[in-house]
Amino acid sequence: MAALLRLRPATSPQALARRDALLGLLLIAPTVLILSAVIAYPLATTAYLSLHNVYTPTLATEWAGLSNYRAILSGGTFWHALATTLVWTIGTLALQLLFGVAMALLLNRNIRLRALARSLVLFPYFLATVVAVLVWRWLLNGLFGVVDHALIALGLIDTPVDWLGTMPNAMATTIVIGAWKFFPFVVIAVLARLQTVPAHLYEAARLDGAGSWARFTDITLPHLSGVLGLVALLRMIWDFREFDLIYLLTGGGPLDHTRTLPLVVYQQAFGLNQMGMAAAYAVLMMLLVLAMTIPYLARARGRR
Amino acid sequence: MPIARRQVLRGLGAGGLGVGMALLAGCGDRTGGPTILRWWSPQATPEQVASYREQIRAFESRNPNVRIVFEPTSDEGYPTQFAAAFAAGQMPDLVTHLPSFAAQNYYDRGLIEPMDDVVAAIGADSFFPGALAPFRAADGHYCAIGIGSTAVDMLWYRQDLLQLAGIGAAPRTWDELRAACAKVQRRGLYGTALPYGMNSMTSLIFISIIHQAGGQLFTPELDVAIDSPPTYAALDFYRSMREFCPPGATIFSWGECLTAFVSGASATGIYSGRVLANVAAQNPRIADVIGCVAYPTLSRAIPPWTFNDFPSLFIPKGARNPALAKAFAISLFSPDIYPTQLRATPGHILPTLKGIVDDPVYLADPLVAKYQREIAMMAKLAANGHNLGMESPAHLPNLRAGEIIASNCIAELVQRVVLEGENPRLAVGQAASRLERLMSA
Amino acid sequence: MSGARPAWRAAALTALTWVLVLLTTFPLLWMLLTSLKPQTELFALPPTFLPESISFAPYLRLLFDTPFPRYFANSIVLATATTLLVVAIGAIGAHSLLRFSYRGREALATLVLATYLLPSVVLIVPLYLMMVEIGLANRLASLIIAYTSFALPYALWLLRSFMAAIPEEMEAAARVDGASRIGAFVDIILPQALPGIGATALFTFILAWNDYLYALVLVNTDTARPLTTGVVTMFVTTFNVEWSMLMAASVLMSIPPIILFTFFHHQLSRSIGAAGVRS
Repeated sequence: MAALLRLRPATSPQALARRDALLGLLLIAPTVLILSAVIAYPLATTAYLSLHNVYTPTLATEWAGLSNYRAILSGGTFWHALATTLVWTIGTLALQLLFGVAMALLLNRNIRLRALARSLVLFPYFLATVVAVLVWRWLLNGLFGVVDHALIALGLIDTPVDWLGTMPNAMATTIVIGAWKFFPFVVIAVLARLQTVPAHLYEAARLDGAGSWARFTDITLPHLSGVLGLVALLRMIWDFREFDLIYLLTGGGPLDHTRTLPLVVYQQAFGLNQMGMAAAYAVLMMLLVLAMTIPYLARARGRR
Repeated sequence: MPIARRQVLRGLGAGGLGVGMALLAGCGDRTGGPTILRWWSPQATPEQVASYREQIRAFESRNPNVRIVFEPTSDEGYPTQFAAAFAAGQMPDLVTHLPSFAAQNYYDRGLIEPMDDVVAAIGADSFFPGALAPFRAADGHYCAIGIGSTAVDMLWYRQDLLQLAGIGAAPRTWDELRAACAKVQRRGLYGTALPYGMNSMTSLIFISIIHQAGGQLFTPELDVAIDSPPTYAALDFYRSMREFCPPGATIFSWGECLTAFVSGASATGIYSGRVLANVAAQNPRIADVIGCVAYPTLSRAIPPWTFNDFPSLFIPKGARNPALAKAFAISLFSPDIYPTQLRATPGHILPTLKGIVDDPVYLADPLVAKYQREIAMMAKLAANGHNLGMESPAHLPNLRAGEIIASNCIAELVQRVVLEGENPRLAVGQAASRLERLMSA
Repeated sequence: MSGARPAWRAAALTALTWVLVLLTTFPLLWMLLTSLKPQTELFALPPTFLPESISFAPYLRLLFDTPFPRYFANSIVLATATTLLVVAIGAIGAHSLLRFSYRGREALATLVLATYLLPSVVLIVPLYLMMVEIGLANRLASLIIAYTSFALPYALWLLRSFMAAIPEEMEAAARVDGASRIGAFVDIILPQALPGIGATALFTFILAWNDYLYALVLVNTDTARPLTTGVVTMFVTTFNVEWSMLMAASVLMSIPPIILFTFFHHQLSRSIGAAGVRS
């Protein structure tokens, strides 16, 4: 792609090229300006705050050096929250990929009312997280929830299940609801990619006597690997930093069993009024995301 | 406080940024014209908002150049909202219905105005004796006034279900309550509904339970005293009640506990007089068979301890027009206005002014009339009520009460012992050291 | 394999697909059904499936007795303004990153990608302080700026992948015919990029429409409060969780995204596909 770009008309005189570059810079300027205002500047502020003790309501500030970081890394909260975050991220991501690919494969077949099915299945993704959580809390309500009553009617359980208040139920429920909410993203991407796999490949394989599983592993999966890698990376990072869903669903409970890092940052800043500690958590979290991303960015640049 | 904020931001060299952002500032709304007073409260059912509007109209008609805007605030999340608003210098002009300890804390930090002149204008002796005590700050000034009173932890019960189970009188001790729950519980009907979630209700209710065992969290001098036998008795009781609550009680907070009783899913419940209005609106079938008493205690020797959050009224410093805000605050207590406000939630926000319980305007409300006995009892209990801000009349005001509740450390104690089966000694020890840290921070 | 077996299998797979699709959408159906039941029926045990009596009371109360319409208007303004801002800036930015050569271009592209991976909760504290300092806290503008912070990098990335699929020759041909670079961008590139712009607009709108965290922290007045925090503040209170109202609010809240979604559905699949294939 980049190679293509360099094929600009060789006739352009140098002055024109320079004017061109200037125009290019001008066009990207608003982006750079906005991103430095709303990202670079806040990042610098976060780093600054993380070195101070800050009382949220008054913003009274005093120098703390690295003591915030020392407290975080030597205390248990960070490591526990990190482990929780990883369980949530890996769990929900795996389900999203599994269910997303399966659903895309099913929806790629010639089924009745395919267009309708394809639209319906994407709805959870477009629903506000607040709405999704409220609906699920109502479905799982301990007194009037339809899920419990359906399961009791089917004879699967005797008494309502405590879906959100005990472990491991709370984490499992959160993971499943997260998967329900976000798997359509995988469906969209995989479905689009599936449509570009040449049909004749399948024909040829069928003639060679390959079963449907063999066709899936030999043809479909290799074609999907690129898009799956990207989708997995994006979803992994989004899941890692997910706040709304978990905060609204469990608030981090029971105890702190579903309190992921973003919830810890929020709790420190606005629950315990310690902005400095919150900022230090945020910096650590950012470093983690960066560590997760760098291999991908390096590979993406390498390929260019 | 503004200086401190400036310092942070100067240190960051925010100056250059303002220029670009000033362009975007145009999107914000600017208003000129009459003086606008903003009024915040977390108590905002449609009925309450309607009564607030009436009160606002009455004030505006006497003060044509004033407009009062009512805005509901979140109940569980008010500390966040207020922290943000104070830091931003975006405080409203009047705040009502926050618990007394929140007002004490804000006053201590110099964020709100003393209210002595408002108290004087209304008349200190028109209040119930003790109704203003929770608002007296360490410096002797009033940091707020009581807009109402609430008996938060009443034991509600279904007379019909108790009778069916052969229980004649409402339980007065924990053993009686437990026995009653065991008798009434059956498939589809729970004995009671207590909160076990990580939230303010679990903390606040469990603090009551400790007191109902004769204990306290702090000594009058505010030394941590939670690690004592009554706390262990309270934990035992709370754990033993788990089997009489719905499985989902592990995430229950105010709304769920209320709904469990109102809907008829549980035979007893714990809540304020709000039950009355909700039963009337949502489940009128049981309107004639409900009753309430003070929450049972460990033994008959221990008198009831009622949790009253002492809903406050205060005026933030930096309000655009404190004199007007105070005038409006005083108007809320005028004899023709005050009863209508209380009628918006009959039995929930109880009067702090004398003479209202028998006031014809107050009694004109059908619910107030129907449950006159219950409301009078709750008013009496609430008047002698307490909260963590001042656990007894002998206690110093606890300025950290709000942060203790927000930290969820008491709810955590409950969850550790009841849900996780941790050793109570360890859990209480941990809670005690967290309380120490919160007090010394 | 016999001829009958694939037919039987196809039917089974169709059935399986539809069962899964319906299970996926069941929560939404339940939301709709709940919103139509009167409050007393919600407490029925066991729950009724179809409403025994249909009640529009929650909707009427929502629209006439609560600040819901104001929150709704706020959300519409917020999401629309954010979308316009982000798409306009993103489109020219993506064009610049694709079709101009200057020093540091690739580094810039990587940086943009990196910024969009930042956890939003990391930015919230300083953004909040910044809004306070420049006097925008509690204004709609503060949320527009905040939403731009997380929507712009994503939009730029989407637009860039999509616009990369437009053949360079088209622009070159226009240039030969005497069009300026800007002219060529407006006349040639933009129309070609329209599906991608549509998809980007949809994503941006949804991001802004659905945010909860920023709205929770940056705004605490009714004049600027959007639906997400507004609905929770109104109906999840200590005295009640009003499920019929909550579900009615949820239904109404879902309408704009669903309208946009049906409108841009095809662009969405195409542009995501394009972006996905390219990587």
